[in-house]
Amino acid sequence: MSLFWIVIRQFAENEAMATSKKVITREEWEKKLNDVKIRKEDMNKLVMNFLVTEGYVDAAEKFRMESGAEPEIDLATITDRMAVKKAVQCGNVEDAIEKVNDLNPEILDTNPQLFFHLQQQRLIELIRNGKVEEALEFAQEELAPRGEENQSFLEELERTVALLAFEDVSNCPVRDLLDISQRLKTASEVNAAILTSQSHEKDPKLPSLLKMLMWAQDQLDEKAAYPRINDLSTAMLEDPPI
Amino acid sequence: MNDRINSSNNVINTTNSTTPQDLGLQFLEMVRFGLCDTDDDDESPTELNTINSSGGFLFVATDKLSIKYTNVNLHDHDVGVIQANKPAPVKRLVYYFEIHVKNAGAKGQIAIGFTTDRFKVRRQPGWEPNSCGYHGDDGLLYRGVGKKEPFGPTYTSDDTVGAGINYASGELFFTKNGIVVGAVEKDIKGPLFPTIAVHSQNEEVQVNFGQKPFAFDLKVLEAQERMKQQATVEKLSLPSNVSYRIVRSYLEHYGYEDTLRAFDMACESTVPPICITQETASDNMYALNQRRTLRQLIRKGEIDAALGKLNEWYPQIVQDEKSATSLLLHCQKFIELVRVGALKEAVKFGRNHLAKFYDLPGFQDLVQDTVALLAYERPQESPVGYLLEDKQREILADAVNAMVLSTNPNVKDLQSCLHPYLERLLRQLTACCLVRRSFNGDEGEAFQLDRVFDSSKNVSANA
Repeated sequence: MSLFWIVIRQFAENEAMATSKKVITREEWEKKLNDVKIRKEDMNKLVMNFLVTEGYVDAAEKFRMESGAEPEIDLATITDRMAVKKAVQCGNVEDAIEKVNDLNPEILDTNPQLFFHLQQQRLIELIRNGKVEEALEFAQEELAPRGEENQSFLEELERTVALLAFEDVSNCPVRDLLDISQRLKTASEVNAAILTSQSHEKDPKLPSLLKMLMWAQDQLDEKAAYPRINDLSTAMLEDPPI
Repeated sequence: MNDRINSSNNVINTTNSTTPQDLGLQFLEMVRFGLCDTDDDDESPTELNTINSSGGFLFVATDKLSIKYTNVNLHDHDVGVIQANKPAPVKRLVYYFEIHVKNAGAKGQIAIGFTTDRFKVRRQPGWEPNSCGYHGDDGLLYRGVGKKEPFGPTYTSDDTVGAGINYASGELFFTKNGIVVGAVEKDIKGPLFPTIAVHSQNEEVQVNFGQKPFAFDLKVLEAQERMKQQATVEKLSLPSNVSYRIVRSYLEHYGYEDTLRAFDMACESTVPPICITQETASDNMYALNQRRTLRQLIRKGEIDAALGKLNEWYPQIVQDEKSATSLLLHCQKFIELVRVGALKEAVKFGRNHLAKFYDLPGFQDLVQDTVALLAYERPQESPVGYLLEDKQREILADAVNAMVLSTNPNVKDLQSCLHPYLERLLRQLTACCLVRRSFNGDEGEAFQLDRVFDSSKNVSANA
């Protein structure tokens, strides 16, 4: 063990003693854990919620059959939602807009920011495909009028049109717009809007609960030394530092 | 029954011998009792405490929810004050109660607040140490001897005024006609009693401990408090794909093979693909297909077929004919016979296969309940009808699944056969919240998984 770690450890021990944190042994802690009852049907619900929200329609269908858990929304709506998401991810923005409107025209009507981002993505795809003339026409006719309504739209429009100014876009300051992550961002924005329109939460519950676990452990750290789970993916209980 | 289960707990924690541990015992508990709700039901005030009130100065109606000042007030020590019969419950996010002023009387010297069990009656809440009160005649907040501060509007006849404890923020708050007037730090220790006072002729007040709807929307406040915490929590970041890994390991653990395959395929085809398959060549994949088959058979009620497969694949699981796993299997077989109305066959099967469990400590109750199904013309509607629910098949399927997992020679810890990662994480979360609260005088709300689903319903309903 390097001196550094010895010092760090000593420091941690001193700190624990100084604040006289209560130490909960592994044995005591395991007893507390055993007293906690988690219902399987609640865990099934969590898993189903994850599959549905993330759009894994086949898995959700199979899970319904294998576990008996009922999905909270009609699984058919997942298929439509994923088709829209996929279209944006593949750069078929026009197609995606049409699909959203088939699903529920109110989604884009009531969500100008989303509509702008979709149009912006369309412009990006035109530029990516080298359709300069079409891109210019589209920017002037469809996007500029919206920019006038909203300052932040205008800035984003200008940033996007800047792509046209560079011969080598792979090396320009706004190259991030051409990155796959921009498509994913737009896709997840549409996805969230569709979920909201279906009165469904846009994020699955499981990640929030995992964050809550991290938070709860940190909170308890202030009061006590106890066995923690540091690696969420193995759920391994680690002994308290004494 | 409890003896047997407790002793088995010890065994499970210590050894892993060649004969499989009877993990079925862990599931036996679930069959008969289900899982009891761990709801924090500490009692709430329901009425006024007529025993320690300032009798002589006030009249309490027979419903113990209305008071009236019947005297003429002469000095500061003849206040008509009364506490609730119980202190405010603490194991929750917020406690709240309201009064409705029916008559402000001669001077409108009405007060609402909180006091401790040592509060001196005949004084206004807020005039004494360790008490706090919002007064109607001047709108001031009183917090102990000589401490008063401008707080809110005055209130009078026909106003509804509320007082609450927000355990999440550590504050006392007051409302008037459904709107929050203000909040102050809760600096009083110990159980707090809802307290109301009247102090001039004909003042009449009615208290609402929640038996009627409140003027103030408590749900909104609770949702806001939860959202505040949620916002702090959401700022944390998770290791990438950890949710996927946990979902995947859950599917592996319970042998939901079809779901697992569909999930893996979907993960690979997302943009960008989520690759978690290769890195987690875990022990949970052990006997996946066999576990899937066993679960399917049990879910369909084909217990004989499941027993046949077990005999063929894992004879060690069923060789001990007096194990809890064996009991669960045979009870289910009996239940399935009753379900299809094959009562004669059920009787025969019971005599041959269930009677022997009768003498075993801890098993008797389940055997009795199971056999009792015969006594009813419509067993579904009988007190033992719970045995016919799908849930029972599920419990048996989980027990068998755990037993199969435990035959894996690589298993080091039998707990891992019983509890998937997801369950261990949720237990840890619950335990952390409970222990932290115990450091905080047991005040506040603990984590409860089922509420996670309730709250989302409320949110979408409000949206």
